[in-house]
Amino acid sequence: MFIQTLITGLAIGGIYALMAVGYSLVFSVLNFSNFAYGSIIMLGAYIGYYSLTQLGLPVPLAVLGSILGAAFLAYLNEKLAYSTLRKRNASSLFFMISAMGTAIFLENLVYATIGSRFYAFPEVLTRDNITIFGTSMGMLDVFAIVFSFIAIYALHYFLQNTKLGIAIRAASYDAQVSQLNGVNINKLVSLVFVLAGALAGISGVFLGMKYMVYPTMGWITNKAYIAAVIGGLGSLPGAVAGGLILGVLETFVSAYVSSVIRDVFSFSLLIVLLLILPAGLFGKYLEEKV
Amino acid sequence: MLEIKGLDVKYGQIQALRGINLRVGAGTIVAVIGANGAGKSTLLMTLAGLLQPAAGQIVYQGRALPAKAHEVVARGICLVPERRRLYANLTVKENLLMGAFLRHDRDGIAADMEKMYELFPILKQRIKQYAGTLSGGEQQMVAIARGMMSRPQLLLLDEPSLGLAPLIIEAVFNTIKEIKKQGTTILLAEQNAFQALEMADQAFVLETGRIILEGEGKVLIEHPLVRKAYLGIKH
Repeated sequence: MFIQTLITGLAIGGIYALMAVGYSLVFSVLNFSNFAYGSIIMLGAYIGYYSLTQLGLPVPLAVLGSILGAAFLAYLNEKLAYSTLRKRNASSLFFMISAMGTAIFLENLVYATIGSRFYAFPEVLTRDNITIFGTSMGMLDVFAIVFSFIAIYALHYFLQNTKLGIAIRAASYDAQVSQLNGVNINKLVSLVFVLAGALAGISGVFLGMKYMVYPTMGWITNKAYIAAVIGGLGSLPGAVAGGLILGVLETFVSAYVSSVIRDVFSFSLLIVLLLILPAGLFGKYLEEKV
Repeated sequence: MLEIKGLDVKYGQIQALRGINLRVGAGTIVAVIGANGAGKSTLLMTLAGLLQPAAGQIVYQGRALPAKAHEVVARGICLVPERRRLYANLTVKENLLMGAFLRHDRDGIAADMEKMYELFPILKQRIKQYAGTLSGGEQQMVAIARGMMSRPQLLLLDEPSLGLAPLIIEAVFNTIKEIKKQGTTILLAEQNAFQALEMADQAFVLETGRIILEGEGKVLIEHPLVRKAYLGIKH
């Protein structure tokens, strides 16, 4: 029971971590909470769902379809809703309002076209179990853990070792100076949204498989915000740690206490953490010496 | 190399630069001196493409200056901004690599990196340190080195002596002369008038957005107005 709960917790935590990383990535460069991120995840889940059911694609292709689709939608999201604000040097409040508007628009677009029905993913992975060391665990959980780990590690490697990755980190510290070094900031921001969108696609598919697909499923990103805050806003290792911690703790609360108080617990944890560690676990006050 | 004619720059309603005419000859050091708020940084930021002129022309190597900062760097003009503004979250090495962002010649970048360690030997021990942990003088050296990594033909330096100890200022200014010797043209904005004028081939005095004096650096040092206002020498 304990190990099974831990595996489920890690799987959920892995998905939270994916969402939190995507969300933190945007936050670290543009310094605003991209509330539309949840809607991109939701649309990614729908793309995955329709690729499996209507197009009859195999699972890997459906996941790939979600990744590409969500990445493209995130790119459009930035071009249509944020790029003009950026050019006018608007304050982050305007970005946040634009993001909320986008989220509500996309949700209602889905209500109006697809409808408010809940769809269950076909049982491609959910039914299978594998047994390791006498513990049986869901295939889906194992896949979610492995996939989130690979995606996050790939992103980490990209940010640490490639020229563009270093440029993203540089721009997250000082976007103006990065332009002095030759960075085309419009392209860089697009790249950040495409990367975040790709992560949204993966998390959308796994969320859809684990729970259901429905228009307001994107609000589960509230958990990703909590995870990002626990880890320290804008810090990617923090987002990963925050996501895993939140996922595991939540699952244990559901399993050993009651699933009803799960969300009460998560949000209480957020409040307590903000009181004790306002910068989060990994939040750095990296101050430049003058 | 660079010719500015009738340049006006505004921040909204406030006019920061008025009718600036300025020439920078290839291979020279040109100094712009002036007090706080005179418009030195505005001038350099406009040249770097971060601010847009309200009126006037900027011609660089026979062509109009591009409008965007990243295009300006590609044309060979690089600004080392005021207060250094290193990426404190990146290591010294990564900061230097960012300087070479537009270059694709791996070997050339590695060779230039070595050159920077020759120019600033102290940096070699610091390559893996986060730039935010360096002292002010070391940060200024990294900032200049980062600018040089783009192999600029024209290097714009905004107050490189700001907040540094006299000995370090001496070292920074010696490096600037060395960079000039290696063939890079330099446009330098400074409050530290004496040292800037001493090494400048040509100098301009900026006051509330206008050029009030210009001439050879060594001549301007003797000018009564400069002596009184910027060097604190009374007659």
